[in-house]
Amino acid sequence: MSDSWQMLEGEGARINRRKFLKVLGVAGGGAVALSGCAGEPEKLIPYLIAPEDQIPGVATWYATTCRECPGGCGVHAKVREGRVVKLEGNPDHPVNLGKLCARGQAALQGVYNPDRVRSPLARTAGGDFEPISWEDALQRVAERLGSAERGRIWFLTGNEKGTFEQLVREWLSAFGSGRHVVYEPFGYEALRRATLDVFGIDGLPFYHLDEARYILSFGADFLETWLSPVELTRRFTASHAFQNGSMGRLVQVEPRMGLTGMNADEWIAPVPGTEGLVALAIAHVIVRDRLARVPADVSRIRQVLDAHTPEAVAGRSGVAAETIERLAREFTAESSVALPGGVGSQHSQAHASAAAVHLLNYVAGNVGRTVTFAPGYDPSGGSSYRGLADLAAAARNGEVGVLLVHGANPVYASPAGLGFAQAMRQISFKVSFSRFLDETAREADLILPDHDPLEQWNDYEPRPGVYALQQPVMQPVFDTRQTGDVLLELARISGGQAAARFSASTYRDYLMERWRQIQRQVGARGTFEEFWNEALRRGGVWTEVRGRGASLAAGVSRLQFDAWSAPEGSLTLIAYPSSALYDGRGANRPWLQELPDPVTKVTWGSWVEIHPETAARMGVAEGEFVEVSSEAGAIRAPAYLYQGVRPDVVAVAVGQGHTAFGRYAEGRGVNVYGVLGAEPQEFGGIAYYAAVSIRKTGEYERLAKTEGTPRQLGRGIAQATTLAEMLHGEFHPEHTEHAAEVPEHIEEVLEQWQERQYADWRNRGNYAGEHPRWGMVIDLSRCTGCSACVTACYAENNIPTVGKAAVQRGREMSWLRIERYFEGGNGEPFEARVIPMLCQHCTNAPCEPVCPVFAAYHTPDGLNAQVYNRCVGTRYCSNNCPYKVRYFNWFDYQNPADPAFAWPDPLHWLLNPDITVRSKGVMEKCTFCIQRIRGAQHRARMEGIPIRDGDIKTACEQTCPADAIVFGDLNDPDSRVSRLALDPRGYKVLEGLNTRPAITYLARVRNRAEE
Amino acid sequence: MSADFRPAARAAAAVVALLPLVLAVVWLRTPEAQQQPAEFVAPAISDTGSLEGPRQPIFFRHDIHAGQYQMDCRYCHYAVEVSPYPGLPSMETCMGCHRITGAALPEVQKLREAAGTGQAIEWVKVHNLPQFVRFPHMRHVRAEIACQTCHGPVERMPQVYQYASLKMGWCLDCHKQRQVTTDCTACHY
Repeated sequence: MSDSWQMLEGEGARINRRKFLKVLGVAGGGAVALSGCAGEPEKLIPYLIAPEDQIPGVATWYATTCRECPGGCGVHAKVREGRVVKLEGNPDHPVNLGKLCARGQAALQGVYNPDRVRSPLARTAGGDFEPISWEDALQRVAERLGSAERGRIWFLTGNEKGTFEQLVREWLSAFGSGRHVVYEPFGYEALRRATLDVFGIDGLPFYHLDEARYILSFGADFLETWLSPVELTRRFTASHAFQNGSMGRLVQVEPRMGLTGMNADEWIAPVPGTEGLVALAIAHVIVRDRLARVPADVSRIRQVLDAHTPEAVAGRSGVAAETIERLAREFTAESSVALPGGVGSQHSQAHASAAAVHLLNYVAGNVGRTVTFAPGYDPSGGSSYRGLADLAAAARNGEVGVLLVHGANPVYASPAGLGFAQAMRQISFKVSFSRFLDETAREADLILPDHDPLEQWNDYEPRPGVYALQQPVMQPVFDTRQTGDVLLELARISGGQAAARFSASTYRDYLMERWRQIQRQVGARGTFEEFWNEALRRGGVWTEVRGRGASLAAGVSRLQFDAWSAPEGSLTLIAYPSSALYDGRGANRPWLQELPDPVTKVTWGSWVEIHPETAARMGVAEGEFVEVSSEAGAIRAPAYLYQGVRPDVVAVAVGQGHTAFGRYAEGRGVNVYGVLGAEPQEFGGIAYYAAVSIRKTGEYERLAKTEGTPRQLGRGIAQATTLAEMLHGEFHPEHTEHAAEVPEHIEEVLEQWQERQYADWRNRGNYAGEHPRWGMVIDLSRCTGCSACVTACYAENNIPTVGKAAVQRGREMSWLRIERYFEGGNGEPFEARVIPMLCQHCTNAPCEPVCPVFAAYHTPDGLNAQVYNRCVGTRYCSNNCPYKVRYFNWFDYQNPADPAFAWPDPLHWLLNPDITVRSKGVMEKCTFCIQRIRGAQHRARMEGIPIRDGDIKTACEQTCPADAIVFGDLNDPDSRVSRLALDPRGYKVLEGLNTRPAITYLARVRNRAEE
Repeated sequence: MSADFRPAARAAAAVVALLPLVLAVVWLRTPEAQQQPAEFVAPAISDTGSLEGPRQPIFFRHDIHAGQYQMDCRYCHYAVEVSPYPGLPSMETCMGCHRITGAALPEVQKLREAAGTGQAIEWVKVHNLPQFVRFPHMRHVRAEIACQTCHGPVERMPQVYQYASLKMGWCLDCHKQRQVTTDCTACHY
């Protein structure tokens, strides 16, 4: 190494930086002892019996199914020394094809959550919980079940489509029948009702976004929570990414621009509640002008369509008649699909809006093409809020003897006015199978904690034809039992009819019984043993169910198409699903709390989105608490000024405001269910819209947000172009300075320096014969900003979560962040851009020469490396980094004795054993997942075969549902990354600084309407 | 190496001082010893307090297993060719032989007792690397570096001690000599 330093040494003084530091250390009295201090001797504890499928230091992968949301993605769980340390998508699985979202990544923090219920708990006379034994607990339940009146046992579950649902039904009937209520707060009651009304089909549609070139979404948040977000993101990108000179188009019609709206080429904000009318008006134009081959039976809805002229609708919706006419023409010009709204558009007339969208698809001839139906498809498992309300009413009337709750938390996630907690108190015996002490479990008399989905045998059917298996990927962390086993055991203890009903002694046997039927159903050959083992290996079995077309139902002409409207003078509150916390079930995962909301970039709390005009009228500034009150109640949260909501709309995300559910969730933000109406709507669901008024409070909080400035200020960080520009010429990078000319003699010196630095290294060890230069390409026309990569990076790289106060000080540690910038607004079309920002691994890195201890340096394979044990924490590198991608450990996040300890027991079990957990005073940053690079190099050397393009996938690239990130060797001219880096859309961020990054961004392309 | 201040240890200081010399002699003779397997007989040891290296819960003798009986290191450290970690024999591996052999030996009785109660033995780790260093055993075995290069003449050690300094300079000396990578991130990440 000394060679490479010759040129940096001063003319006369033969001293280099390392020597300088040594001298300084001695002069300073040697105050710092760098040698490791001898602590407690480490212990090595052998296995009693070595497991057959585990080799210490080598990961074993098991296929199972993600149960964090109803999407049901297949996952591969990476297990090291018997502990799951990372989840990745299962590439064979038809739902997600190897991809996973942030919530899926954070499932690890469910299994290792420090606030899990660790053993059965019973309520004491004082109202607290005390641990009891499983035998005692089961005995208590069996007694109560024995004494319960027939038909008075109620079972409340979340969506459990699959064998567990069947067991619950059979079990209830074995106990003299009872009621099974399925409750998912984000149910699809409105869409299901609309599908039944319009097409007479009980089941939701499949939307083939990948086959549509034009997507018209009426408030569907399909990139966030709607139906199956990972799958829909993939299908959307397949249509919408700029490739081979063309791309699809997304128009989002919704009063609040969410993440999906941010990805739209055009955002149209109608008066809240009127999007269904807009859909009808578009259908009107299509039929009027015969823009499509309109099916003959459309005559039956003639009256409805006639009444919704563009002019009439324009008056009510605020969408200009010309816009409606244009949308109709665009919609029918190429293959298209219209999407009905999700939870964020679920007002009291949501079923009518969805029906209107169905009709639009029908008149345009999309039904049977981009919209198909498979009866029985419902990702919320037939959930019904009305069912929950009936349960609450029955409880109040004393009709519920025993209530068993599994996988649902209605005390938190239902409108406060329903009073589910009070209703539960009317029930004499409540059993919860919750893994956490959530709000509903707190009301129970007995808690029989279930295994985490990663610890259990189970299956799940995310959609018809897909049977996904779950297998335990590790031993249970705590003294929990699988609820299926508990139910079977209870039947056995109870004896009599209940015991006689079940032949299976364990839930696994019960599951296998059903899988024998599945084998027959899918027509798989061979023995059951072979079928089962193959299913376990692959993660399940799947058959292609394409779905079919439909024609209008008989009663369609009688449908009413009302719009929702807020009373004069009031604002509309939109409670929208949080893309990270979902319906609140993710709130106890610190990764998801620290994950900035993709739209507002706020972490660890709630906020109220208010249009700047409205805020100015009221004199509200960002961070001021505002009180949002409706007839049902009031909530207070800090304001976030956002031009992506209409001036007559305020918006709050669902998911925060827990009063229980563990240390990460409790007492944070507000529960928006407090202001939603409790009455089930006509379609049987919750109205997530409310008429509200807002009031200033004069109290302030600094929002814990990571956005910095929301505008690019001419820096050209996240660049975009239009499709027209791409077709008519070259992409012209906007506002950015080209790198200044570097004088030739400087170029020469730089080259020589690099040459000398690496001359001999390149011929050694890992690099002998191959001289990779690792690089990355990020396609912004694919990136949706969903932030799955951010959480994957936390999981892979042992990044600590720092908490709200540290984020407020800008001390978050996210090696990879999604920067979001706004463009336009104030009269211009308002749009957002996103760009994943991580270490650029600059060839000419500003961080490297300023490090006094050579901790930041360049590796021969082109990485900008950080050597933790050298780092002394001067932070010069961070100060000199123009991309601000270096993160400093201000506290000892890895030290259990430090209040900032980020992995309280057993959360530290998820740490990746392949990389260092950094300590206080150390700078850290993206390494391009160096442990994966070195791992692949080890494998290649051991097996004697060279590394091929695509063998190394960084964690962010691996999980990206949109395939926006490509990593590889820039020195290999045939690698994907080198070919993509030459794309005409390619640019480097802050190119003018001459840092020569290894990351090339491909500018986003907007498919704007032709004016 | 940790200093030991117990009186017995102090009394045996002279022996300890001589031990490296003795071992050096043994080390030099090792190649011949390997060619003539029957030659080495592990000595009987009555004073374990004088031995170098941390005291283990069971006085397991590498010199008997690997030296006298010529057992291959990989019989117990089974993962060393495929994993960064060499692997520690499971209790079952020990019991594979000791269910039959050595029943009379007090140390074997300790082992049997532990295995019988399902209690794993907590061995004291001898070779500690700092947390920020990765050492892939499999690459070094693949490169035909003998175990003894870093671990010393384990087959002559009644009680294993840390033979090499395991400091970075020591690693680098070898890497430079063998013309292999000296890039920081080969080991530090």
